[in-house]
Amino acid sequence: MALALEGSQAMARAVALCRPQVVAAYPITPQTHIVEGIAKLVADGRLDCEMVSVESEHSAATVALGAALAGSRAYTASSSQGILLMSEVIFNIAGLRVPLVMTCANRALGAPLSIWNDQQDSMAVRDAGWIQIYCATNQEAVDTTIQAFRIAERCELPVMVCVDGFTLTHTLEGLEMPTQEQVDTYLPAYRYARALDPAAPISVGMLVTPEHFSEVRHAHHQAVLRALPEIEAADADYAALTGRAAGGLLEVRGDASARIGILAIGSVLGTLEDAMLSQPDLPRTRLIKLRSFRPFPAEALRRACEGLDHLIILERAISPGAGAILGPEVVMALVDGGTLPKVHDVAAGLGGRDMRIDLYRRLLALTESDPKPFHVIDARLEQLPEEDR
Amino acid sequence: MNDSVIHDLRNHQPRFRGLEAGHRACQGCGEALAARLVTESAGPDVMVANATGCLEVFTTPWPESAWRMPWAHSVFGNAAALAAGMEAALKRQGKSTKVLAFAGDGGTFDIGFQALSGMMERGHNVLFVCYDNEAYMNTGVQRSGSTPHAASTTTSPPGKARMGKRHLKKDILSIIAAHHIPYAATASVAYPSDLRKKVRRAMAVEGPTFLQVHTPCPLGWGHDSGLTVEVARLAVQTGLFPLIEMERGGVAGVMPIREIRPVTAYLKAQNRFRHLFADEARAREELEHLQALADHNIEVYGLRGEHVDRYDTEGADTLHRGGARWA
Amino acid sequence: MKTIPRGAFAEPGTSLAFHTGSWRVQKPVHDRRPAPCHAVCPAGEDPQTYLAKVEEGDLKGAWETLVAANPLPAITGRVCPHFCESACNRRHYDDAIAIHNVERFLGDEAIRQGWAYPLRPAGDGAPCVAVVGAGPAGLAAAWHLRRLGHAVTLFEAMPQAGGTLRTAIPQYRLPREAMDAELERLLAIGIEFRPHTRLGRDVSLAELRQDFSALFLGPGNQLGREWSADFAVPSDLRSGLQLLQEWIATGALPVEAKSVALLGGGNTAIDLSRVLRRSGVAEVHLITHQRAPAPGVPSDDVMRAAPSEVAMALEEGVIVHEHRGIRRLILRGERVIGVELVRMKKLTDDRGRLHRVAFEGTETVLHVDMVIPAIGQVVDGEGFESLLGTGSYFKVDAWTGLLRGQENVFVGGDARGDHGTVTEAVGDGRRAAMAIDRLLRGEAPPAPDTAEPVAYESLNLHYFEPEARAREPVLPVERRQGLDEIEQGLDANQVRHEAHRCFSCGDCLACDNCWTLCPDQSVLKTRDRASDGSHYVFDYDYCKGCGLCAHECPTGYIRMVEDL
Repeated sequence: MALALEGSQAMARAVALCRPQVVAAYPITPQTHIVEGIAKLVADGRLDCEMVSVESEHSAATVALGAALAGSRAYTASSSQGILLMSEVIFNIAGLRVPLVMTCANRALGAPLSIWNDQQDSMAVRDAGWIQIYCATNQEAVDTTIQAFRIAERCELPVMVCVDGFTLTHTLEGLEMPTQEQVDTYLPAYRYARALDPAAPISVGMLVTPEHFSEVRHAHHQAVLRALPEIEAADADYAALTGRAAGGLLEVRGDASARIGILAIGSVLGTLEDAMLSQPDLPRTRLIKLRSFRPFPAEALRRACEGLDHLIILERAISPGAGAILGPEVVMALVDGGTLPKVHDVAAGLGGRDMRIDLYRRLLALTESDPKPFHVIDARLEQLPEEDR
Repeated sequence: MNDSVIHDLRNHQPRFRGLEAGHRACQGCGEALAARLVTESAGPDVMVANATGCLEVFTTPWPESAWRMPWAHSVFGNAAALAAGMEAALKRQGKSTKVLAFAGDGGTFDIGFQALSGMMERGHNVLFVCYDNEAYMNTGVQRSGSTPHAASTTTSPPGKARMGKRHLKKDILSIIAAHHIPYAATASVAYPSDLRKKVRRAMAVEGPTFLQVHTPCPLGWGHDSGLTVEVARLAVQTGLFPLIEMERGGVAGVMPIREIRPVTAYLKAQNRFRHLFADEARAREELEHLQALADHNIEVYGLRGEHVDRYDTEGADTLHRGGARWA
Repeated sequence: MKTIPRGAFAEPGTSLAFHTGSWRVQKPVHDRRPAPCHAVCPAGEDPQTYLAKVEEGDLKGAWETLVAANPLPAITGRVCPHFCESACNRRHYDDAIAIHNVERFLGDEAIRQGWAYPLRPAGDGAPCVAVVGAGPAGLAAAWHLRRLGHAVTLFEAMPQAGGTLRTAIPQYRLPREAMDAELERLLAIGIEFRPHTRLGRDVSLAELRQDFSALFLGPGNQLGREWSADFAVPSDLRSGLQLLQEWIATGALPVEAKSVALLGGGNTAIDLSRVLRRSGVAEVHLITHQRAPAPGVPSDDVMRAAPSEVAMALEEGVIVHEHRGIRRLILRGERVIGVELVRMKKLTDDRGRLHRVAFEGTETVLHVDMVIPAIGQVVDGEGFESLLGTGSYFKVDAWTGLLRGQENVFVGGDARGDHGTVTEAVGDGRRAAMAIDRLLRGEAPPAPDTAEPVAYESLNLHYFEPEARAREPVLPVERRQGLDEIEQGLDANQVRHEAHRCFSCGDCLACDNCWTLCPDQSVLKTRDRASDGSHYVFDYDYCKGCGLCAHECPTGYIRMVEDL
């Protein structure tokens, strides 16, 4: 049965269905509604968990880590500056190979201050060793949140569920919520093999000398790669139970036979799909929704791009001085496959810049000429001094 | 005595041992001593969250751990939060295991202070132990918020224009006590019975508790490794490191000083204060300043022992044949 | 190769694989050294060890430890000037341990409880040793020879054993019941005792040499030193020792003087001064070249008498004239009516020898009715002149007492002339017995003990608390009339208290300091005593040699030694 729910409220309910034992968070827009929703569920007695309202994101991540280490299912959520403040701990959690789930309500990073959406924050911690899954819709956010706990606990890795701030977190939709029974069937009780226990007292968080560090890092890389089938299986099993899949590692939409592809992550996929459907005069394209960014699904991506003449990559964050973030990784994956389409790489929608329906047309226009260097496609350069254009 | 006999003896010691031999602390390490004393009294049904620092590094070079209790290290500034997370989990699981947080003075006074304040404000059932060796020893003796006034460190060296650290040692206990937590105390490796009593007291309290243990660092302070306890004792006997207990923000007890020693007795024993004994006016002035700080402590906390007290600075660790101490 | 587990965690206590002992350049060792009380005791007693046993509640063990050196604790506990207490490190802290009281208590307790002297039975073929003189030296020699498994025949000129104990020590210091009880028990351990047998009269030196494998002589000093002042000798001159022996034997003194000048600073002088007071002499003036014992008086300038005896003599009204000598007698006819005193002092000459100097111009007159010299006695060598030679005393090896020029004749006690207390005599007997034992077994003689006693500075006093010394009840001055014992001894609780006060210098107190304060968990507590007598072992696999245990050891028992 569909319920009309704000994205954040739906995600809060999804978290609650997973029966977390400890939730720790520090308020930051646009993550707040999720945490407030959980707090209300706790206050109403609908969720039995320790809700720890900490004094910083650094502590939010840490409390979740401590709880997970001590044998409890733990959850946190943050955005933007909060992600950066906790980034030290984010890396640490992954290195310790501790399973927990965090929602990143994606938001730009200052300065200048912006509370609005792009994906600079989660991209800033892409190398932390977490699994990162990006959601295109609130339904995906609900379903991915539940899947994330299973993936995390099976892989003994933390999972970051990335949802676009405001675009998803603050919008009301009709959503299907799984039942508690379904989630209980899907997600077994938390059991962490290396949980701390006075009866079997191990030490975690050791100092590792150069003699062993490379091996530890290699193992971490392999572990994240091994999550690829787990992500697919988690989605498949979830679909079998609820009748809804969330898109596996990636999903090809639109015209699968089109020779122009657009690769994007997050909610902008919906905008592009709507634009394509509502503007039949424009060519239909192959829309590639990259759901799993970490691990990076190179093989699936090669298959999704087979036969393309042009691949347009739409970035929601930039790496100043280099430009693209997604692009080089995609190209690397495709190079390994032999033939490369013409790759057009741009960013759009930074800091909440509205991505309207005409974005689709502007993207397609890129294919009319040879690829240009990476640029921010919706920047109004006339507002800038000459030397900054 | 052969190896297997010693090994067997080690495994049958009549005390819980939370910290095992083979750790890599320097000779005479006050922090290692404090950690063993604290864990002996606190363990074994505990879980430890340890900040980055000497204690963490010298106990856990993979694959060897010196700990015999569940122990986790995350980063430098988050020991209190890590402990809070553990405590929340254990509480939710209905377990009585007590959570300890260990940090040095950097991880308490400075980088870990915010997390510590938050943990206490939220009332977690955690005993936070600060091993206070008064500088960043792990990184090479840089000054911290806990470094005493006029002490020389690698970032507060004395010279023509400076006489060591310009600022004062942060009064962390008062700050902690201002959280109105049930129990906060200072302790010293020089007074193991007092230290044990305070650990047990803190363990018995439901809620956040705090213990600041003064732990000399032979390397960083510049004294002979055999004098660790002696130097710590002088810190207490001079009034520079008062042993205090605070409950809900108020002073609940002090260890009276039976024979107050001049601060020079303490300072002379350490190279970090050597520049204060130069024959120059500014050195004499700093010595007077440190004496004034000790006098201030003695006055404010009423440390002057008016009569012989079994628990004063001379009586607190009186020993007896057969090892019986009062705590 | 170690497999790196997920998350690189570690198992508990795995640091034991890392042997930090290799960092060490010095290591702690248990260094059992003599406590000052032990080092200084002429009898060789180890009070520290028996005090420890008393504190543990093992009184019998304490007594056995005690008699392993001195078989006469009930006696020496009463009459010894307690060298041990003068050396006790605790005297620098608050007050010395009342060791002599503990010793006496243990001696009395052994008599009360009938504890058997611990010894090996002498085998049939055991060599037999003759001991001449059943005074303290002879008794100690006999005991140690028996203890070491030898047969002993003990010759005594008098009808009873005891020597000077019986003849020269007043009963108020040494009640005869206490003395007899202890002597009786000692003689019953299998010593063949032959009283009424004087060497040179009832048995000859040649017979002894023939019948016994070795000889120990403890004949004492029986002849008073000759004395005169400026060549004058009073007609009624009696030596101090003679008078004292007479009083002890008869309970009365043939003295009618109202005032007496008594010359001397030893125990005989002091004992006699007190006896004179008891016999009704109104003024007893003790004239000594030295000073009465008091804090700060250098040891070479202090009277030889026991400090407590001097103190009691003063309480009882004896007047002490320090740094004085008698220069001249003032006579009316042959009767003494006074003495001329002069200030005297022992000074060191250019060759470093002490000699007495009288200071001209300091003469004073003291009116007295009688002068008694109590300046010591010499050996009466009748019957063994060949051994004594021409001197007043025997010339012996200082440690073993082996008589110079002899192979198997040893001498101890006052007859050596180099000391004059019961305790020193006991020590002579002990060391000579050990030397005889070695001699008879064909081994080299024992070497003197040279271990340095534990200095006060090497203790860590922080771990002790001041505690008042237990005081025994003492008969008040007005009741010191007859033979009643003046010092009444400590009760069991007081004795335990004193044992508890002992610093345990140089020995393990089992205080747990090293075990508690080792930052490296390299001190392990043993279930029972470790082989070195302590309660701990060092685990040198991990000990980094920081020296903390040594510095915090309260008793100076742990020492750091180089370990490169």
